[in-house]
Amino acid sequence: MATQGWVGGQGVRWADSTQDEFIVTFSDGIYGGFLLWGSNEPSDQFTSMTGAQPLYGYGTFCAGGWIIATIAFEQFTYASRTGGGPLVPIIYTVGQRVLFSLRGLFTNEDEWTPSGDPRAPNTYFIGNVVQAPAPENNNYIVLQTSI
Amino acid sequence: MPEIIRSRDCIVFFKGDSQPVIVSPDMIRLGWSGGQGVQWVDSTTDERMVTFSSGLYGGFLIWGSDESSDQFTAMTQQQLVYQYAVMLSGGCLIATTTYERYTYSSRIAGPPYIPLVYQANDILYLSKRGLWTKENELTISGDLLAPAFFTGFVAQVPKSVNNNFLGIQTSM
Repeated sequence: MATQGWVGGQGVRWADSTQDEFIVTFSDGIYGGFLLWGSNEPSDQFTSMTGAQPLYGYGTFCAGGWIIATIAFEQFTYASRTGGGPLVPIIYTVGQRVLFSLRGLFTNEDEWTPSGDPRAPNTYFIGNVVQAPAPENNNYIVLQTSI
Repeated sequence: MPEIIRSRDCIVFFKGDSQPVIVSPDMIRLGWSGGQGVQWVDSTTDERMVTFSSGLYGGFLIWGSDESSDQFTAMTQQQLVYQYAVMLSGGCLIATTTYERYTYSSRIAGPPYIPLVYQANDILYLSKRGLWTKENELTISGDLLAPAFFTGFVAQVPKSVNNNFLGIQTSM
């Protein structure tokens, strides 16, 4: 994660480490929580936060019940993203269950099932949609998390 | 070398819900370690009482009944004398020594004991004696209450560098 960077709202899962520390990596559908801040957001530029998280190798991990607005969600269906054809937008509706995609973004699709993941189906419940993305909210999705 | 001070049976990094509970006579008699899983039990008086989990959950107890860190302080055996404990539930991040080291079948059958190998993100349950484990012991034992409920994930595996504490993100 320190190498690739991440967006605020990125879903993460636990990973093992040789050190005495709690370490997370990109979620692949399993949840631990989500990271509050992106690794290098425009709002951090020219402040002491600029590149601080990747430099020091940390993130602020969130779990439990939150109401958040984030751009860290899947915009297009898993099938269209991996199938090579035209990208098919995902339509989010209020009250829909969300879970993490194979790359740790919020989505309303269970990506374990279409990808043939042996852990399928993904039955974890990590939140639901409070407000669907729309031009009026700058295409942020608003979620109530239950992690 | 451990970098996090772990001077108790159960270390809390972030805390979910907490409440005081009355503990059962069995718990008073036998004592418990910090991180012990408990379940609700009925009482003849107007109190909320817990006892050792048998695979079901209500929560877990944050402090052991007579931990070494309590010695020579006002906490020495205080919970046993006043018959109470503090129960945590909800979403917590903890590290504890109160987990099963060996598989259920090898513990039942006797030696040789087969170690349980924990990995990050393993799903956790409470064992039939209320310790954290990756095995669904209610199912394995054919218990009528099977399956045990999901109670958390492994956040950090036990290893020498963390004094063999198991890191857990609880969901209960």
